[in-house]
Amino acid sequence: MKTREFIGLVITIAAIALLIYELFYVNLTRGSIGVRGTISSDSVLVSAGFLLILVGPWLWFGEVPVAVKKFIEAKTGRKL
Amino acid sequence: MYPILILLVVLLIYGVAYVFYGKKLLERRVVKADPKRLTPAYEKFDGVDYVPANKYVLYGHHFASIAGAGPIVGPAVALVWGWFLPLVWVLFGNVFIGAVHDYTSIMASVRHGGVSIMTVSENVMGRRARYIFLAYVWFALILVLAAFISVASATFVDVPTAATLSIIYMPLALLFGILVYKLGLDVRKATVVSLILVVAGIAYSFYAPVHLTYEGWVVVLTLYSILAAALPVWYLLQPRDYLNAYLLWSFVILAVVAPLLIPVLRFTGPAIIGFVAKGGAIGAPAGTPAAGLDIAWFWPTVPLTIACGALSGFHSVVGSGTTSKQLSSELDALLVGYGGMLTEGAVSSLAVILPAALVWDFAVVARDAGLTADLLLRAGLNITATPNILRVVPAAARFYVAYGFAQGLAWSRLFGVELFPQLFIGFRTFAAWALTAFILTTLDTANRLARFAWIEMFDWLKPRSPSLYRVVANRWVASVLAAVIGAIMAYPTIPGVGRAYLVVWPAFAGTNQLLAALALLTSTLWVYAVLKVRGAASLLMMIPALFLWLTVTLALLIWLAFIVPNLPPIYIGTGIIVGIAVALDILLIYLFVKGLRSARAL
Repeated sequence: MKTREFIGLVITIAAIALLIYELFYVNLTRGSIGVRGTISSDSVLVSAGFLLILVGPWLWFGEVPVAVKKFIEAKTGRKL
Repeated sequence: MYPILILLVVLLIYGVAYVFYGKKLLERRVVKADPKRLTPAYEKFDGVDYVPANKYVLYGHHFASIAGAGPIVGPAVALVWGWFLPLVWVLFGNVFIGAVHDYTSIMASVRHGGVSIMTVSENVMGRRARYIFLAYVWFALILVLAAFISVASATFVDVPTAATLSIIYMPLALLFGILVYKLGLDVRKATVVSLILVVAGIAYSFYAPVHLTYEGWVVVLTLYSILAAALPVWYLLQPRDYLNAYLLWSFVILAVVAPLLIPVLRFTGPAIIGFVAKGGAIGAPAGTPAAGLDIAWFWPTVPLTIACGALSGFHSVVGSGTTSKQLSSELDALLVGYGGMLTEGAVSSLAVILPAALVWDFAVVARDAGLTADLLLRAGLNITATPNILRVVPAAARFYVAYGFAQGLAWSRLFGVELFPQLFIGFRTFAAWALTAFILTTLDTANRLARFAWIEMFDWLKPRSPSLYRVVANRWVASVLAAVIGAIMAYPTIPGVGRAYLVVWPAFAGTNQLLAALALLTSTLWVYAVLKVRGAASLLMMIPALFLWLTVTLALLIWLAFIVPNLPPIYIGTGIIVGIAVALDILLIYLFVKGLRSARAL
């Protein structure tokens, strides 16, 4: 596994953990995530999970899916 | 008038328009779409922006991207003319202008390698027109970013469950993208898996509000829009918009079903109140002297009030921006472009105007439906203080109430009238979610489009300084730039105005519709000069294009003559933008006529 992919995997796991913790633990125990009108640690954590989940899998899986690449090569006849 | 009759008329018009105007005329006679011709998604495949998409996935992406707050807020504001005139404009604008504009923008872009309609204009109106057009669109997109970051942040504060749903959507959208593109799962199976999770997410969101301040959401959404603009389209934007489109389609389908459940109830609203809305002034800031003028004539100002529901310049930027780069086959463009616009028209006509016309007079509709005062109060509706739909402000709230009320009436027929308060509140929240979904899906596409416009604007730099061009055209640089400027305009508050972007926002309606006129003129000229289409088929595009140009020009002149001089000094930016728009309008029609003459001479 390349460094970029490893970092992506770590970020993905961290993001999923943050979202699960906030959505299913914090919300179920307190009835909401964060406090209205303030920036609380929970709202920061859930926002971080929201943004990190976008970055992690991208680093992990790479930009161009191999299956799509092969399909385009077959259709256009040019090597990508 | 019975809602079911209007429903049938609207569906019939859309069906006939799609088959005869869209398929038989535009696709077969004008554009001559050819499934064998390779699209830019294949020819220029890069895995980031140029990626072929499944027809239905792209339809979802395109529909979710073009539909912002406009198809909802615009018709809700236009109710000041009654319900009939806005409905007529939505249907007419949809079929003859908006859908044609969207479809031909996509196809013109596809035939020019996936570049924007602004760059296509170079081929028919010259290089000068292209750069004017690109700069104009880039600034307009920054204004869109500012407005949508601000509106989405404010909505997340007011409706915190909408924020939860948006957060839950992200991992599900990524999952869909990975299932389809990475693991090669069939789109239908991936859709079923993802939708089951989406439904569970929707149900859970009701009970999991996420609270953050307005400023906090501005920061989060700015970062989100940067990521959405720069990350590969197959990975985030395409699956997210596609899955979100199901939420939006459900919203439209419910609007179609409601009249079928309450066939005996009649409209309680007036068909026409008047051709001049008293005390209105076409988007002039509330409370300013300009807002007191009685100059809101239905024509020519209606396109400045109802934008996306009938036609919008922003659509041409989407169509020739993200959509044309993902089109798998030229035959897909009709469903995506023409069909996408008709679907958006259905949002305006069936999900906004029709429910409002039905529940307009709350006392009358409550009496007809057998709702007691106690049930209305339990739903939070005080019909003494707010007797009709026009008294509900702002326009977004007017839409929430009308949609929630109509759905509450329909489903309480099935489940019992005593459940009306719960149904009303539930569907009102659902309406707010739908509006937020529309806004967010437009926000993430808008930054990507700003990036495209920015990169195309600097293509002259490429041969002169390749290294500098690489920096300027870097996808992260271009994405950060537009989003940060937008966020700066959305963040601070100006006393007496509100958020900073509002100082220039009133000009957006006019500039956006001017863009629509210019894009349609460009497409028309492309059809005439490049595709060599002549006769009736050409006139069917030329006449609506010139009608739109005339309408928007007159509306802008009204703004310039009556409203701009009456605006407080703080709105000087609005005045300047409207002035520039009128000047550009005249310059570009000159270039259009010149282009038309050159094409005739050939």
